[in-house]
Amino acid sequence: MNISKILYITAGIGALAVGYFALSGNSDEIDYSTQVKPILNKNCIACHGGVKKQGGFSVLFREEALGKTKSGKPAIIPGDPEHSDFIARLSHSDPEERMPYKTAPLKKEEIEILTKWVKQGAKWGEHWAFTRPKEIEVPNKGMFAGFFSWFGGKKWEKNDIDYFVSDKLEKEGLKHADQAEKGVLLRRVSLDLIGLPPTEKQLNDFLADNSDDAYEKAVDQLLKSPQFGERWAGLWLDMARYSDSKGYEKDEGRSIWKYRDYVIKAFNDNMPYNQFLTEQLAGDLLPNPTKSQYIATAFHRNTMNNDEGGTDDEEFRTAALLDRVNTTWEMFQGTTFACVQCHSHPYDPIRHDEYYKYLAFFNNTRDEDVPDDSPFLREFKSEDSTKLVALKTWLKTNVSDKASAEYEQKVRFLEPKIHPHWGDQFVNGFLADNKYLSVRNGGTVRFKQMPVEGKTRLMVAYGNKTGAPTRMEVHLGSPDGKQLMSIRLDTTGKGGWTNSWDYKVFDLPKLSGKQDWFLKFTNPKVKPEESTCVIGYFILLDDFPGKGKSGYETGQQMFMDLVRTDPAITTPVMFENPADFTRKTQVFDRGSWLTKGKEVQPDVPKIFGGLPGNLPRNRLGLAKWLGSKENPLTARVAVNRFWEQIFGVGLVETLEDFGTQGFTPSNPELLDFLATRFMNEYNWQPKELLKEIVMSATYQQNSKANAALLEKDPMNRFLARGPRVRLNAEQIRDQALLVSGLLSYKMYGKSVMPYQPDGIWNSPYSGMSWRLSDGEDQWRRAVYTYWRRSGPYPSLMTFDGGSREVCLARRIRTNTPLQALTTMNDPVYVECSRFLAKRMLQENGDTEAQIRKGYRLALSRDITPQKLEVLLSFYQNTYKTYQQKPKEADKLLGICKDDAIKPKNIPSTAAMTMVASAILNLDEFITKQ
Amino acid sequence: MKIYEEAQTTALNFETRRHFLKQCTTGLGMMAMGSFLQSCNFLGGNTSDPLANTGNPLAPKLPQFAAKAKSVIYIHMAGAPSQLELFDYKPELEKLHGQLCPQSLLEGKKFAFIRGVPKMLGTRAKFSQHGQSGAWISDMVPYLQTVADEVSFLKAMYTDQFNHAPAQLLMHTGSARLGRPSIGSWVTYGLGSENANLPGYVVLASGGKNPDAGKSAWGSGFLPSVYQGVQCRSKGDPVLYISNPDGVSGDLRKQSIEAINAINQKEYEEFKDPETLARISQYEMAFRMQTSVPEVMDIKNEPEYIHKMYGTKPGEESFANNCLLARKLVEQGVRFVQLFDWGWDTHGTGKHESVDIGLKEKCMESDQPVTALLMDLKQRGLLDETLVVWGGEFGRTPMQENRGGLTQAFYGRDHHTEAFSVWMAGGGVKKGYSHGETDEIGYSGIKGRTSVFDLQATIMQCLGFDHEKFTYQFQGRPFRLTDVHGSVIKEILA
Repeated sequence: MNISKILYITAGIGALAVGYFALSGNSDEIDYSTQVKPILNKNCIACHGGVKKQGGFSVLFREEALGKTKSGKPAIIPGDPEHSDFIARLSHSDPEERMPYKTAPLKKEEIEILTKWVKQGAKWGEHWAFTRPKEIEVPNKGMFAGFFSWFGGKKWEKNDIDYFVSDKLEKEGLKHADQAEKGVLLRRVSLDLIGLPPTEKQLNDFLADNSDDAYEKAVDQLLKSPQFGERWAGLWLDMARYSDSKGYEKDEGRSIWKYRDYVIKAFNDNMPYNQFLTEQLAGDLLPNPTKSQYIATAFHRNTMNNDEGGTDDEEFRTAALLDRVNTTWEMFQGTTFACVQCHSHPYDPIRHDEYYKYLAFFNNTRDEDVPDDSPFLREFKSEDSTKLVALKTWLKTNVSDKASAEYEQKVRFLEPKIHPHWGDQFVNGFLADNKYLSVRNGGTVRFKQMPVEGKTRLMVAYGNKTGAPTRMEVHLGSPDGKQLMSIRLDTTGKGGWTNSWDYKVFDLPKLSGKQDWFLKFTNPKVKPEESTCVIGYFILLDDFPGKGKSGYETGQQMFMDLVRTDPAITTPVMFENPADFTRKTQVFDRGSWLTKGKEVQPDVPKIFGGLPGNLPRNRLGLAKWLGSKENPLTARVAVNRFWEQIFGVGLVETLEDFGTQGFTPSNPELLDFLATRFMNEYNWQPKELLKEIVMSATYQQNSKANAALLEKDPMNRFLARGPRVRLNAEQIRDQALLVSGLLSYKMYGKSVMPYQPDGIWNSPYSGMSWRLSDGEDQWRRAVYTYWRRSGPYPSLMTFDGGSREVCLARRIRTNTPLQALTTMNDPVYVECSRFLAKRMLQENGDTEAQIRKGYRLALSRDITPQKLEVLLSFYQNTYKTYQQKPKEADKLLGICKDDAIKPKNIPSTAAMTMVASAILNLDEFITKQ
Repeated sequence: MKIYEEAQTTALNFETRRHFLKQCTTGLGMMAMGSFLQSCNFLGGNTSDPLANTGNPLAPKLPQFAAKAKSVIYIHMAGAPSQLELFDYKPELEKLHGQLCPQSLLEGKKFAFIRGVPKMLGTRAKFSQHGQSGAWISDMVPYLQTVADEVSFLKAMYTDQFNHAPAQLLMHTGSARLGRPSIGSWVTYGLGSENANLPGYVVLASGGKNPDAGKSAWGSGFLPSVYQGVQCRSKGDPVLYISNPDGVSGDLRKQSIEAINAINQKEYEEFKDPETLARISQYEMAFRMQTSVPEVMDIKNEPEYIHKMYGTKPGEESFANNCLLARKLVEQGVRFVQLFDWGWDTHGTGKHESVDIGLKEKCMESDQPVTALLMDLKQRGLLDETLVVWGGEFGRTPMQENRGGLTQAFYGRDHHTEAFSVWMAGGGVKKGYSHGETDEIGYSGIKGRTSVFDLQATIMQCLGFDHEKFTYQFQGRPFRLTDVHGSVIKEILA
């Protein structure tokens, strides 16, 4: 590693931190969060924190820091630095005793701060991000307004954001930039809000509109555009680790695209952010949840599922559970929680068991890493939907509204399922691949502690392709115990290993509590090593209600029909365990799921005051807490994320870490101002927030830099210029499609497969293949591209798309030769070049006019003479080449000998295609500027 | 040291740009761009002065301390080869062949497929001792027998994952779950690459399938994506999109890049965004890669004796070809070459999945080229600076697999976490040495047990990194390849 660089960066960051925070408060009073905590984090906490407590001393919590150490005395005595070992050790003459141990001593100023702090009572403070944002007054607003207007001047500030920015600029001795030229600005705001550049017409309309509010009108149009949701869903899906496959070895497909559509709709509908998060975390627990609210909960079903033969379902259920906890923290709280899985947080005051209290919120959903992705919402074909309406009506009329709702839920989810992995104590049978129930003729299996209380019927989902009926006996308590029932499972046409079952319902004798069942299977027709049948799952049912009422038989028949039918679409969702399926939550000792410690109840960490008493202790309560104004992090984290998407860098650069190890905000007042405004004035609605951001003069600045500015502010954290940022993977693809005229605006639906080279999908034990989509589906926006975890779409990955395995809070932008190869040679971009060339050639006039046209279509501004000259001469050389080698031109254009329609002038079309390709590869094209 | 690594990519970039702007912006003649960039060391070149190379994230960097190995060839036999048929000779197991497995070996254990009480399975191969070191090597790998004194064995490796995908992930990323950087990514992050015209981390797969863990086995996790492995393929483009479209010649491509870069240069003059300069150099590098990648991936021009030595046939997708490519790549300065060969999962569920017939077939395909690779590296003087690692993701049981409690038609062994063999050769490790020992039947290690993390720590050590100090800040904490585990296997180091 390069030492000088480390020092440079560290020093730079230190300076920033001090610069921002030393301003506030009484200068004599030492502030824990801004002055003490950074020193402790940097120098002490690695050995005296949440992980290690050398010498019995830790500075993570106050009570620990003031407590007795191994020496028998406390190291910090408030008010008495002279007798505090903590202070004495900092300048001890013996290098063995002097702290920090075996590294450079603290600076004089640092020791002074710590000494003063102990003298003032060693008061603890809270990290800024863990306390609620306060309403902040806009700096200098109105101060010079009168003065300026008096002289006919015009102030730069357009809205409140600008006052915060100009305040900062003034302090830094910087000056804002001029407004960007109109076309550039429209392209910027269009890419930012809808992920697409303006069309030719939009550009022309905007340029022709000289009214004062032309820009605002354009912004409003963009916010109303249905493409808005598609752009913002991209950001969300990275964090939600959305994928069309289940992950791990087989990585089979998963039908969960309705969740993607839900996210797009939510953004288009401007759904309040706190409602958005509530529906995703706990939509199923809302009163009378809608289908859409159920689908929202697919959010946490985007966790991976391991179908590899031999894997333990409970192990991977646990893995998914941990992922849900970590993702929830990272997405909504911008706080690292993952490390608390094994021990107390190394830097932030969160205790080990608090991780498991939080985990307890999520630990009671019915999903158990089974291959069919249960539980899932079943959406019916239209004839079945009609049947469902009839069933509900009958139940409403003859029984009750409650029964109607209950039975709708039953057919929509077929839960709670009892999966084969519930079985143990096999005799002449086994759990094939650790997943499937396989019992041979005369074999038995135990189903331990079946929750039979009050249940009167057993539904069996099974397949039997042996050609002969299988008998299944149920014995109580032991294989020879009392026989509860003996049922016949006839041969069926259906019955794979994972789905497409046949269903039978049998009456149960009355039982209470939980009982051990022993199932015995007989089918003398099968060979000794063969299974007697395949059991998908069991469901324990009550009596179908309304006995004696007219139409009872029909009602029951409708119910069974709806159970049996193959639904049109299924989507994995959250489904809370009923009471008799409840799991208890225990602390994992040192983070290992196999060593379980004390039992815990759902709660949020103490540092946040715990879960308020008026909220239910379930996912819904958790979601309400996350989305409340009392939560110090949610709004800040959200606002910061939107800001980052627009400016390229967050106000807190570490989007994923607002804890004490994250970056200090570049403009803390602005962050809090926007966070409170987002909650209080905008009712958490993203469109209002985004409008405020893009309407600011700050945003509308041109993005030109100069040497002095780069020296002072290379990352543009002070915003003395507009954002200039490479587009993201999705924007790059979508833009090329739009500019070439190929883009399909079709929305929603199953994921599509645009062109992809062979050999990308190569997972073992999987029969899936990439099948090129038909027609316009090849040119859909990137957000609809089929996403397989083991083989994600290559060009999106090359431009830093996330792998969607775990939550990705921030994409790090890279700049690589593979990106150049993609936009030059990927057939998708070659095709775009051909079509853009076609559009250019349609322009009346000479080659020069055509190149001007192409550049303007792509960049929304006019080409400069020098750039034009470069492209013109490139065109002319290429034209000559293709004139000499017409067959090469045919190849580039994909022309076959017997094509009926050929371009008029093949060499010029080919040469223009190369010019178009050059335009699609320009730095300014793949950059928002 | 707060947030240093977190900031590395971005901060490094702007540092570079500053360096650029100060020293390199005068007189940017378009045509001279390439040579100019070289002179500013932007592209890395062949210098080993880390201070000179700040711009290119793949520029060569110095390790934490002086090291013997400069590059790695990691050969992973996906599916897990049986140690009991290859390197771990157990005459006692032979005697127990066919007897029921003692309960003590089964209690409290979990197996992927074994159910009930299986039978013990004696080795299906013939063992003999070889070389000065007297290493026990079976007749399944006769070529390797001849180079016994070049390699060092780890005979008591263990893991805690008994399914392929998680075990492979653990082996390559230090975590059984997805999302961590692979060892090759760590190495290229730490050392960069010696050749600016080739990817620094190349992956070659054979056996018809990718490994079970998929692309994550060479993913960059939370490290910037420039550090992920680039899969080179023997069919189609060797690297995706490296070939120009039909009808676009190399010369035309050159002209088009010149046009693109000339305009980007104008753009830079207007906006002064250092990222634009970086893009100019990346387009130049892309152009050079278009020549250098197909060149290095083409084995046609290798002399006949080399083809004989490896058993290679140009144009085929084969493990042998990949071994030869591995040598070529390392010779060209590629930092980390990862080979995966699929098809070593010998459960006995069929002829090709048996520990006698199937395993022998896989050995016949791979033994000669692996041995050739070692000898070829040696004759070129490269073995001393190249660390070669060979192994699977776990071991196989001394018991015969009895999937579903039944005897299989073929001899097979189930997945086994408690004992397996790995060998290493070349840069930094002893020659002709064996470390670790399993019990009489090869069930578990009794001496010199080494974990997956120990192996990773040792590889990093050979390359000049203290695995405990080589970290990257992510999600608020420093991450390292070995997480909180692992210690260097000092006994095996030269």
